[in-house]
Amino acid sequence: MKVPYSWLQELLPGLSAELAGRGDGGPAGEITKLVETLDGIGLSVEQVREQPAAPSGVVVARVVRVEPVAGSEHLLRAEVTDGDKAYGVVTGAPNTKAGMLTALAKPGAVLDGGVTVAERELAGVRSEGVLASPKELGLFDYGGGLIEFAGDVRPGQPLTELWPAETVIELELTPNRADAFSIFGVARDLSAKLALPYRHPAHGLGGGDETLETGLRVELRDRACPRFTLRLIEGVTVGPSPLWLQRRLTAVGLRSRNNVVDVTNYVTLELGQPSHAYDRAALYDGAIVVRRAQGGERLTALDEEDYALAPADLLITTPNPVRGGDHTVGGVGEVPIGIAGVIGGLQSSVTGNTRAVALEVAHFDPVTVRKTAKRLGLSTEASYRFERGVDPNLPPLAAARAAGLIADLAGGRLHLGLTQVGGDIETRFVRFRPSRVMSLMAIEVPPGEQRGYLEALGCTVAPLADDLWDVTTPSWRVDLAIEEDLVEEVSRLHGYDSIPITVPTMHFVPEGKDVTHRGLRSLLVGVGFQECIGYAFLSDEALAKAGAPAATVRLAAPPSAERSVLRTALYPGLLAAARTNRALSSLALFEIGRVFEASAEAERLGLLLRGDWVSGGWLPGQKADFFVLKGVLQKLAGTLGAELEVEPKTLPQLHPGIGAAVTWNGREVGWLGKLHPRLAAHWELGDVFVAELALPLEAATVVFKDYGRQPHAERDVAVLAPVQVTYAELRDLVTASAGALLDSLEPFDVYEGKPVAAGRRSVALRLRFKHPERALRDDEVDAYMSGVVAAVKAAGYTVRDS
Amino acid sequence: MLKEALEEIAAAPSLQALQEVRVAYLGKKGVVTQRLKELAGLPPEARKEAGKAVNELKRALESAVEARREALELEDLNRKLESERVDVTLPGYGYGAGGLHLLTHVVNRLGDVFESMGYEVVVGPEVETDYYNFKALNFPDEHPARDTQDTFFLTDGRVLRTHTSPMQVRYMETHKPPFKIVVPGKVFRNEAVDATHEAMFHQLEALVVGERITMGDLKGAIHEMAVALFGPQAKTRLQPTFFPFVEPGAEFAIWWTNPRTGKEGWLELGGCGMVHPNVFKAVGYEGVTGFAFGFGIERLAMVSYGLSDIRYLFGSDMRVLSQFRGAL
Repeated sequence: MKVPYSWLQELLPGLSAELAGRGDGGPAGEITKLVETLDGIGLSVEQVREQPAAPSGVVVARVVRVEPVAGSEHLLRAEVTDGDKAYGVVTGAPNTKAGMLTALAKPGAVLDGGVTVAERELAGVRSEGVLASPKELGLFDYGGGLIEFAGDVRPGQPLTELWPAETVIELELTPNRADAFSIFGVARDLSAKLALPYRHPAHGLGGGDETLETGLRVELRDRACPRFTLRLIEGVTVGPSPLWLQRRLTAVGLRSRNNVVDVTNYVTLELGQPSHAYDRAALYDGAIVVRRAQGGERLTALDEEDYALAPADLLITTPNPVRGGDHTVGGVGEVPIGIAGVIGGLQSSVTGNTRAVALEVAHFDPVTVRKTAKRLGLSTEASYRFERGVDPNLPPLAAARAAGLIADLAGGRLHLGLTQVGGDIETRFVRFRPSRVMSLMAIEVPPGEQRGYLEALGCTVAPLADDLWDVTTPSWRVDLAIEEDLVEEVSRLHGYDSIPITVPTMHFVPEGKDVTHRGLRSLLVGVGFQECIGYAFLSDEALAKAGAPAATVRLAAPPSAERSVLRTALYPGLLAAARTNRALSSLALFEIGRVFEASAEAERLGLLLRGDWVSGGWLPGQKADFFVLKGVLQKLAGTLGAELEVEPKTLPQLHPGIGAAVTWNGREVGWLGKLHPRLAAHWELGDVFVAELALPLEAATVVFKDYGRQPHAERDVAVLAPVQVTYAELRDLVTASAGALLDSLEPFDVYEGKPVAAGRRSVALRLRFKHPERALRDDEVDAYMSGVVAAVKAAGYTVRDS
Repeated sequence: MLKEALEEIAAAPSLQALQEVRVAYLGKKGVVTQRLKELAGLPPEARKEAGKAVNELKRALESAVEARREALELEDLNRKLESERVDVTLPGYGYGAGGLHLLTHVVNRLGDVFESMGYEVVVGPEVETDYYNFKALNFPDEHPARDTQDTFFLTDGRVLRTHTSPMQVRYMETHKPPFKIVVPGKVFRNEAVDATHEAMFHQLEALVVGERITMGDLKGAIHEMAVALFGPQAKTRLQPTFFPFVEPGAEFAIWWTNPRTGKEGWLELGGCGMVHPNVFKAVGYEGVTGFAFGFGIERLAMVSYGLSDIRYLFGSDMRVLSQFRGAL
């Protein structure tokens, strides 16, 4: 929310002196101190903006005469006067009209964007300056027409004096602080902190007499509108707003419209109470009905958009004269004239022809307003405030303030009557123990001081017992509901700076499990892999392009197709990373992250290898291949003492002959292999090797066994078998037949080609036998080997002679 | 003869030549051996005298041969070593170096800091239910506080967690106080992406619950983290703010000196506060108080390393990733 400093000062007259007394002196010091104070009470300052004064060389001018420029469709020649002298000015502004007061930028004036005004010819007509829009004056981002002044200025006055510079403090308010969504609300909170008296803008104004007949009637048919007030202002002349009002609206980022609409906006900002002005003539029989929308109803709103209304929307309506006859409130057929708490209708709005204004100031249910505003995608100054909670007791006071201002500025008569349904809410109170401030905040605040803070905030304190108070909270603090809320109030006025630094003692022993897989990450880094972190969301296409399972978890409203579903695997992200880094001659990446399925999410490890594993140069290198990646897994398993099994498996993303399932400690955890060349071509990557394993990859539980001190006996055997027979099958065959004393087995040569027959290969195995207690005799080992040879032959393979 | 023999031994150019010289003098048919044999034919007096002389000669020659052998062996070794010399300035085998992601470095560092303070590190799901992400954390339905979360909703009604705070509820549901935990993890916000905003980022959440936990303990915990990260001159500031799941609530900032620029200032890091009674109610806790705080890890990482654009972190470009090498 934007808070012009001058406006704030008006509601908190002692502010400047107080800040000057606390700060380092000077206007800048004042602002610094103000920012510090606001931050300190939880009204967080987002930024401080210096709004410059209107440019020099610009004066107020009256338009005397307007005529079209011959040969131009939209250019006008205006004759204007600054009181002394007449100027002929060419303008394209559609709102130019005789009699209006506007801004004349004389030659030499520098306008927004650095444009220097000069006398020149336009469409063959001499122009002695520029009639300026708010945008050209650098005041506000509206260039659709000339700035227009009311009669509180006179021609010739330099605009830079009328429109001085302003310091605007922009607050980033949290949604609980509905009470501070107004200049007055900010002043009220500062007043409590700084112990300064504030000035209420509606102080002394009568709320209106409910017994007087205004000719206006209200019927509330839904509890979502608990209170509705109407004031009547007759005999108004709708026109431009006075300078001070324009300046203030401009400073908070609102465009000045006219002296009625501007007042409703002004009071919204000043007091935090939204209101709406209807042309009295648009209310049939002076009646307003608040009800939910019916199917098919529509409303063209002030923003000139046509909105389709839904049954949950709360509407302001007026009886429909066309439906005939039944003028009574509560009869059938009312037409919408506004969406409650969100936006008014165009038809019933105040125009230049309006003579009487019916001013609505009401209270609406936050959730109802929020749902409608959200559904319509329409966040307005009004809906924003109603959603957060407007002071429910404020309507009559705010109505008096706004109606009085309209009457003043538009020259109307304020009817003394008040039309109202509903009234003040019941007071709410909170049981409060002053000792809770110490026990929650660890700060010592004497009870007397605590009471002072609460009362400064508008609470009423009634002590019930020692350390137990009944605290009545003010109607504007809808956020104060429990004791802890009051602890915060006391603490923030006392100052969070006084919270000490303490350390708790507690009996708690953490388990210390490595839930973030630090060990695994370190291991992989040690092997030479770079960690990366990919997006958890991607597109259906990215998954399809990687041959990954289709997504089952989808964003309801994706910001883009690239971020529309949750990943089902890590490797598509690794492939994208490989593509990003395709200029590199080698790449070894890993990611540890979550993948998502309909019912569960799982943690995975993804690995990718491409290019050189050991880069060549003057020494021999090693290209990444299946066995490099498998070797990495073996190394991981070896380090962790886990059992690794790799068996052939056909997977859509992998080369059909170079793909495998990975079993870790007897549990299938994932796969590894060479990316299918068809997919690799999509990604323009060449040979890529990938693996994806479910985490955790469990380590072994170690129980020490003494090592055998006996020497081992070594034997080699070469088995000739069809190439389709895997090493694992041969290994299992040999292991099963070699007897209990087989200590280890490893392949040391795998050979295809002559003299081995086509379709067969020779796998040479080295077997080591060991007895735990004694050396083995040759004949014993020979016997074991005979068993192996017999098993190999029985399986239909042959043993190659050495 | 001695002089002549010694010269021959000293001049032997190789072990082989030395052996030949040794045989010529000391071998079975060598000159010295011959003389020893001849001693037998001498009269006893003369034999004694001559014997002594021959033995001295023999010892002198043996000693000279031994010395020459050692010298020659050393020469041989030196020659061999010289022949094996390599150019140690040539590069070794090109094993690629690996590295942790920058964010992992930061998370690990934070994990170390909190583990040393007796906290347990826990993790939780990234897809959450409305209950854990909002409701149990005291975000009422249709409350504007939900707007501040910029939530990604899923078609099945669940959400991508917008903060690590759901783990507060999950942990409390399955554990009894007292405890101290930290929760690092990914979170998601439906925000326009720019140099400082990403739709996916990481947070670290801390939750401490016990019988008499205070906001002083909260400030103490943040302060200890600040000192561990930025040194003893770090200061901690709390300012009131609002989060539905804490009351009182605060945002915290750390006064630090940027080691890269030498500039001092407040680094606004995150939100904190005392656990809201409604959150304790949701998990069935009574008679305890607690504090929680959370902050974005990317921001800490970016200011610490001078990274200019958050998108670098998830772009997986080796030109970025490989810069953040360091202790594991």
